[in-house]
Amino acid sequence: MASVVLSEAEKLYIVHGVQEDLRVDGRGCEDYRCAEVETDVVSNTSGSARVKLVETDILVGIKAEMGTPKLEKPDEGYLEFFVDCSSNSPELEGRGGEELGTDIANTLYRVFSCENSVDLKSLCINPKEHCWVLYVDVLLLECGGNIFDAISIAVKAALFNTRIPKVRVLEDEEGTKEIELSDDPYDCIRLNVDEVPCIVTLSKIGYRHVVDATLQEEACSLASLLISVTSKGAITSMKKVGKGSLDPESIFEMMETGQRVGKSLHIALQKILDEEENLGTSRPKVGFLG
Amino acid sequence: MPLDHRRLRGPEESQPPALWAATAAEDEEDKEGAGAAPRDPCALRPLFARAGLLSQAQGSAYVELGSGTKVLCAAWGPREAAEPGAGRLLCEFRRAPAASLALADAGVEMYDLAVGCALCRPPAPAASWMLQPAEPEERRAAARLTLALLPALNQVSAVLGGGRGGPPEDWAQALRLGLDGCHRQYPVLRQSLLRAAQRRDAAA
Repeated sequence: MASVVLSEAEKLYIVHGVQEDLRVDGRGCEDYRCAEVETDVVSNTSGSARVKLVETDILVGIKAEMGTPKLEKPDEGYLEFFVDCSSNSPELEGRGGEELGTDIANTLYRVFSCENSVDLKSLCINPKEHCWVLYVDVLLLECGGNIFDAISIAVKAALFNTRIPKVRVLEDEEGTKEIELSDDPYDCIRLNVDEVPCIVTLSKIGYRHVVDATLQEEACSLASLLISVTSKGAITSMKKVGKGSLDPESIFEMMETGQRVGKSLHIALQKILDEEENLGTSRPKVGFLG
Repeated sequence: MPLDHRRLRGPEESQPPALWAATAAEDEEDKEGAGAAPRDPCALRPLFARAGLLSQAQGSAYVELGSGTKVLCAAWGPREAAEPGAGRLLCEFRRAPAASLALADAGVEMYDLAVGCALCRPPAPAASWMLQPAEPEERRAAARLTLALLPALNQVSAVLGGGRGGPPEDWAQALRLGLDGCHRQYPVLRQSLLRAAQRRDAAA
């Protein structure tokens, strides 16, 4: 992961500030940075979203394609995650970014492995034969700390924005099945994202933990806990990262904070998504040049 | 070991044979599982641990858990790391704490032995977490948690969990159960290290 080099004095400054609930940019320990979320930025995808957390920039595109269901779950569709980190910095080009990319993809698989995160049964067309496969492509445009949170917000926004065309299955007298796409381009199914979890990263700095760490704060933190929280406050996965160790009491406190912060994150995100939805086609599109 | 992809040509798509097994056998197994007496969720399976059994490796450990999990771990090194900075530990930890036992046997200086413990929670609505699930229980689990603890320092070195867990209180309860399990396994591992050192002493 891209990292900054900090002097010991700078690290001490950050650690002492965090003990007093005051971070370098004036935030409290549980405050997020100002986030910009925009959906429908890429035109040739089924759904897309872009999230910008000051210096962290993530672009997610979702393409819905027809495929065969997995053998263990013949009446469900599925999601495939691909993460590309190569546009970030020269050291992440080629093989370097692959490790980070697979790490992020595996985390996303685990977060979405919970059965009721996405209604996969609605993605089924013909049990055992046809289903919708959602290919989720994550592009890491800029890494400014806290990429997991930004990626999960972008994935949720992109899933909300995804429009899957409605298909009808026609069966002949002989039994051959034909799939017919509806003529109306606006006739599509939308996904229910109420149960989609968001990742909250809590980094341990000194004796306290902070939410949404910048690159400098990540350099001072030896251990972090990644928790995925749904909008109802249920935790669906957790993982500890970093080479330091965590006290069991800290883990309990971090889970409580993560649940609190996660719930308010979901409320704020849903508000933005609903506002965009209500504006419809008259929404001013900012895109990448704004 | 890197695989030679040019010579080993396996099929493009492979499927596990268990899927094609007769479904009648599965139903029987389910009924048996449901009808059996509910097991004590805090019970730890009997653990056998032995360090220092491979002569070729610097350090080794063998751990066997009650109903069939056997893990052998060997530690080599230290070798010069490819990148500068902190050294890298290439190691996979699972339920059995064999890896840290092998490292300690090799004489690597460590803060403490890392003891791992796994828990799972069956899909029934108000089910409670169970320590060290057997394979069929783990396959049917709705949520899983694995954690590693350094018992002497009481610091958690790794947590990995996922599934339909519920509110944080449930996960906290599962963590406490896991920590307790790790503390209970620690004396067995220390004993095995002690015996291995005594054996080496006697042989020298």
